[in-house]
Amino acid sequence: MNADFSISQHPLHVTPLREALSSPDCGGFVHFEGRVRNHHAGRAVTALRYEAYRELAEKEGALIVTEISRKHGVKAAAVHAVGDLRPGDLAVWVGAAAAHREAAFAACRELIDAIKDRVPVWKHETYADGKSSWIAGCDHAGSAGNPDHQ
Amino acid sequence: MKPPLRGLLLAGGRSTRMGRDKASMILRGNGQTQAANALRLLEGSCAEVFLSLREGQEKPEGCGSVEILRDAVSCGGPLAGILTAMRHDPESAWLVLACDLPFVDAGVVSLLLAGRDDSPFTAFASAFDGLPEPLCAIYGPAALPILEEHAARGHVCPRHIMAEEGARLLELPAAARHALENINTPRDLEMMTRFSDPGAAAPEPAGETPGREIRLGWFGFLAEQRGRREEMLVTPAGTVGVLFAELAARDGTVGFTPGVRFAVNDEFAPPDHPLKAGDKVVFMPPFSGG
Repeated sequence: MNADFSISQHPLHVTPLREALSSPDCGGFVHFEGRVRNHHAGRAVTALRYEAYRELAEKEGALIVTEISRKHGVKAAAVHAVGDLRPGDLAVWVGAAAAHREAAFAACRELIDAIKDRVPVWKHETYADGKSSWIAGCDHAGSAGNPDHQ
Repeated sequence: MKPPLRGLLLAGGRSTRMGRDKASMILRGNGQTQAANALRLLEGSCAEVFLSLREGQEKPEGCGSVEILRDAVSCGGPLAGILTAMRHDPESAWLVLACDLPFVDAGVVSLLLAGRDDSPFTAFASAFDGLPEPLCAIYGPAALPILEEHAARGHVCPRHIMAEEGARLLELPAAARHALENINTPRDLEMMTRFSDPGAAAPEPAGETPGREIRLGWFGFLAEQRGRREEMLVTPAGTVGVLFAELAARDGTVGFTPGVRFAVNDEFAPPDHPLKAGDKVVFMPPFSGG
């Protein structure tokens, strides 16, 4: 397992990751927690499962952390959960620590976007009506951006 | 009495991922552009047909003298074109079709028309997730105030709007279950060519062994469609892209799958990545982590 990025069985343990990013020369620490939402496209979500292609996901995730750490001069780490989750559970955690806050904010944002875009992980939702489905990206957002897709 | 039906071809997308205008591409064997084929489909069912373009955009090739409606709404995306058309004629129902759905044919359109009722939205349920497919759908006059209200709140994804508001949902027959898959990237285009005719795209180098034993892995909905997560397979396919196209075309268990990615031996691989005996090949649908 890579120290900077891992795919981990739910529940995630983030305390060691936070501590690893703690350093006297870093005055800014930003982290993002992606949590399971209880609704999707108007349907009530009752349970959710993530699966990952672990070998490739950990390689690509480590590459992303390395790229963005270098670009912004930050220390960064991330972990994505797999397994059965419920609304409110922590699905993904991303953290970036830097001397100043600007770099930490920017790196954290880029990390989560790159992880969603490039790491082979798939989400399977179960709804209140008993139906379930795999989730894929949606292509119908306007160029102005879309709150539905944040 | 049902309101009259107008046709709207959505061609105002920026084709960013494709890198060139999708409406002007020739994807079907008849040599016509996507826009020309789609306009002909709409003309077969609608009294009047309009072409939706964004401001300042050139008309795609093969569109003839069709009337153009330029986006007069700033929300962007397909919703801008749909809202512009519905404001232009709020009394009519609109048959909306995107220009990047090369598998939609007259049979699919006639199923949609047959399923139409007074609902604001009539659409096919996605074979993939059961959600409405908004870009080959009928928007009745009652849809206009609903769309206006969502647009005002910054909701611009018609699929989400339809799902939230409730649409009359039609099932695609099994033989046409991949009919609404679209083409977004040059890789999709290449895959479609092979999907249509996998044999033609797989010239075998002379002297090669006729088959290689490959270990296959499937993830996400592809694993569900295929009915397994792993398998061993002997294939004459020379590249990973041809292998996928052959599996999709031959037994129909998996679809054309826009955005499919490949890995060979735990590394991302392009469609033309050559295969050798003993390779581990993994097929990945679009990612949905986070």
